[in-house]
Amino acid sequence: MVAVLVAAAFALPGGYVAWRVIGGTESPLALLTSPRTLSPLWRTVQLAVLVSASAAVLGTALAWVTTRTDLIGRRFWRVVVPLPLVYPSFVGAAAFISGLSPGGIVHDLAADLGFDLTMRLHGLTGAWLVLTLFTYPYVYLPVAARLASLPTAFEENARLLGDRPARVFSRVVLPQIGSSVAAGSLLVFLYTVSDFGAVHLMRFETLTQTIFRTRLFDRDRSFALALLLLVLALVVVAAERTITRAGARRGALLTSDATVGDRRALTVPLGRWAAPATGLVAGVVGLALVSPAISLADWGLFGWMRSRRGGAPLRLDWDDVLAPTWNTVWIGVTTAVIAVAVVLPVAYLTTRHRSRLGGAVNAVVVAGFAIPGLVVALSLVFWTMHASPFDFLIGSMPVLVFAYVVHFGAQAVRTAQVAVDAVPARMEDAARLLGAGRLRRLATVELPLMLPGLAAGAGLVMLSTMKELPATLLASPIGFRTLATQVWGTYEALFLPEMAILALILLAISALMTWLLVVRRSDHLR
Amino acid sequence: MIYNSRTLLGMLNKRVVVPRATAENLSIEGLSVAYDGPPVLHDVSLDVAAGEMVALLGPSGCGKTTLLRTIAGLERQMAGTVRLGERTLGDSYSFIPPEKRRIGMVFQDGALFPHLDVGQNVAYGLPRSERRSGRVTETLDLVGLGGLEDRRPGSLSGGQQQRVALARALAPHPGVLLLDEPFSSLDTSLRVQVRSEIHHLLLELGVTTVFVTHDQEEAFVLGDRVAVLNEGRIAQVGSPDDLYRRPVDQWVATFVGDANLLPVADASGTCDTAVGPVAVASDTDGMVGRVIGGPADLLVRPEDLRLDEGSTGTVELVEYYGHDAMVRVLLGDGSTVHARTGADVRWQRGDRVGVTYVGPGAVPLGV
Repeated sequence: MVAVLVAAAFALPGGYVAWRVIGGTESPLALLTSPRTLSPLWRTVQLAVLVSASAAVLGTALAWVTTRTDLIGRRFWRVVVPLPLVYPSFVGAAAFISGLSPGGIVHDLAADLGFDLTMRLHGLTGAWLVLTLFTYPYVYLPVAARLASLPTAFEENARLLGDRPARVFSRVVLPQIGSSVAAGSLLVFLYTVSDFGAVHLMRFETLTQTIFRTRLFDRDRSFALALLLLVLALVVVAAERTITRAGARRGALLTSDATVGDRRALTVPLGRWAAPATGLVAGVVGLALVSPAISLADWGLFGWMRSRRGGAPLRLDWDDVLAPTWNTVWIGVTTAVIAVAVVLPVAYLTTRHRSRLGGAVNAVVVAGFAIPGLVVALSLVFWTMHASPFDFLIGSMPVLVFAYVVHFGAQAVRTAQVAVDAVPARMEDAARLLGAGRLRRLATVELPLMLPGLAAGAGLVMLSTMKELPATLLASPIGFRTLATQVWGTYEALFLPEMAILALILLAISALMTWLLVVRRSDHLR
Repeated sequence: MIYNSRTLLGMLNKRVVVPRATAENLSIEGLSVAYDGPPVLHDVSLDVAAGEMVALLGPSGCGKTTLLRTIAGLERQMAGTVRLGERTLGDSYSFIPPEKRRIGMVFQDGALFPHLDVGQNVAYGLPRSERRSGRVTETLDLVGLGGLEDRRPGSLSGGQQQRVALARALAPHPGVLLLDEPFSSLDTSLRVQVRSEIHHLLLELGVTTVFVTHDQEEAFVLGDRVAVLNEGRIAQVGSPDDLYRRPVDQWVATFVGDANLLPVADASGTCDTAVGPVAVASDTDGMVGRVIGGPADLLVRPEDLRLDEGSTGTVELVEYYGHDAMVRVLLGDGSTVHARTGADVRWQRGDRVGVTYVGPGAVPLGV
């Protein structure tokens, strides 16, 4: 019963979009095939494919180099390499652009050396570069975790059977980590098609921006494009599922984690490749992690110094900093708690009872993640305007939280399932035989045992919520400012120092969350 | 040693006050259990007297764990009755949920709550008013773990964990104690030690106990009586000696121990077999399933055969176990028999040996 309600809620935004398009005034087919629709679609697909491919290569290479070779400072790099995850892509893009523009650190340094670097990073190249740099951790993390859990015996056997390290990688390791690479690339693909901020800053018009731009004056087109984006995302997810499943069937025996040992994997001596490998890792980290931070810090410092020296004061008072910070944190926590509470019954259904209903509900919830946040928010905003019994919700906080939960709930599903699985059925049986009724069992046995897993899921949702831009822009109640929307607003108004200061606060919070959740917990650090 | 001065036996020798009043008799009648498809348990009946220890023995998948879980109420029966003392726990009309049955159970891996300390684990089944009484300490003292109340289960050894699980099950004075392969997760050396300590304790306490095992030795060592299950039915219930010496059929005979089955044409008096004359047991009167007269297989245990100089057969294989040895002898007719000899094995592969039956009389079993 609860599960059906959850499924209905998660299906609402997608369903409403489809219904609007089909029941719209203009013929949906004509809308979908017009060149004004097709060209942003083409740009979106182009960018998403490019970014997924480059992130897959970069993420896999970094994972392999940091876990399987004698790279100097492996342990340090393993901590640092996934960290660009903390940058929302629009913050990263803003940092790059502002660093290269007059007044930015790169531009001014180059000018001191006599170069004029008023080059603008923009278009496909700019969007591709920035998105690759900030999404490769989505590939790196699962691949590194998989590499760490891979039984070392496979590689040892291949070496003993006469393969050189490179051959071992292509014949033994790659087939084993293939599914992780695919899963990571899928996330990158979904991230890219639903990205709004970075592509906007790079003046590369993809579907999300067309949807955003046309939502007020050409609503039918906006919805048609939203449906297109939704279908694109779902098709890619379905394709990935099919391929992975076929692959899993083929390699079922080899992908079992049964023989994971504590032993260290064989390390490949880099030899004369040591310098290029170190250069690659350091270069990526420098570009994706260090340089945006420096650029932002430079702008922030510049603004602060300027106001101290009696120049133009910062257009930022304490309230402009504290209110959005507070809003960001509490809406993140609220969303996380609600998402976990909503997803927990689904996790119970799928892991404990393995019911068909549970599987269906699970699919709906997971599909929610594939729907771009922009589409979810757009759909919900217009739905509340037109659904008469619900119109009191227009522009209210519940709509925003609802949009977040639908979009990010899927991130909590996996951890919630793991959490439910972490309570052995025998533990419950033991409690029952000791006389504990249902409520006492839930309170004293199940919840305490599930807590770490649920907290991890909630943390992931919170992290994503804090970084989300387009859904927040669209569905926020009027006057509700979060760090993400404030960074966006100040950048659009070209108050770069103010933007930098707010962005640094957002980064600090999300870095703290990332450290707690991703880096400290993940087993790839072993 | 994991536990030195505070061993369980040491505690018992100090005469811990042992309440005996809680043991109840358990009676199971015509029990059938099915999930989806064919029944897992078929018309199973078993009576366990108050204070008795009964082993459920069988190969994996025979339904012994299902039987235990049905007694506990963790599975529901299709038909049949489970009674504990005067109470009906479950029959075709009524079903008392496990939390109201007053049954103690120890799971294979202990299933201790990892987030609670040892004291809280033991107190879990006690009524709120008794949690702070001396019952927790008392029970932990019983199992020889006094003073470990504040430890986390994860910091205990496997043997200690099992004993905490036992203390947790015993603390609320259950009417019957169920053990689900409680020693199988322990190392061999530890297993024997923990087993005999718990054996002694349960005898002292006089707790009605039903335990599941797939290990024939464990069933014989611990069980006052053993119920052998095969494919969802009880094949035989009896004392360990009954099962070993007087099994009802060939399956039980071979499942509970090493067996030579020697075919004879007419099972009566003294028969001529491949190892010479073998007397047919005379005390088989009234035993179902045995064949008197006509073709049958005689059950000859390896220790009933003596090897000496002679030429009945050739030694094919010698397996040395320390306390004894098993010798496989290839006979003239191409069949083989196993003979158990003392630890001082005089034979080697290839030796010619004589084989003589020295047992008290062989049980004839239907082919």
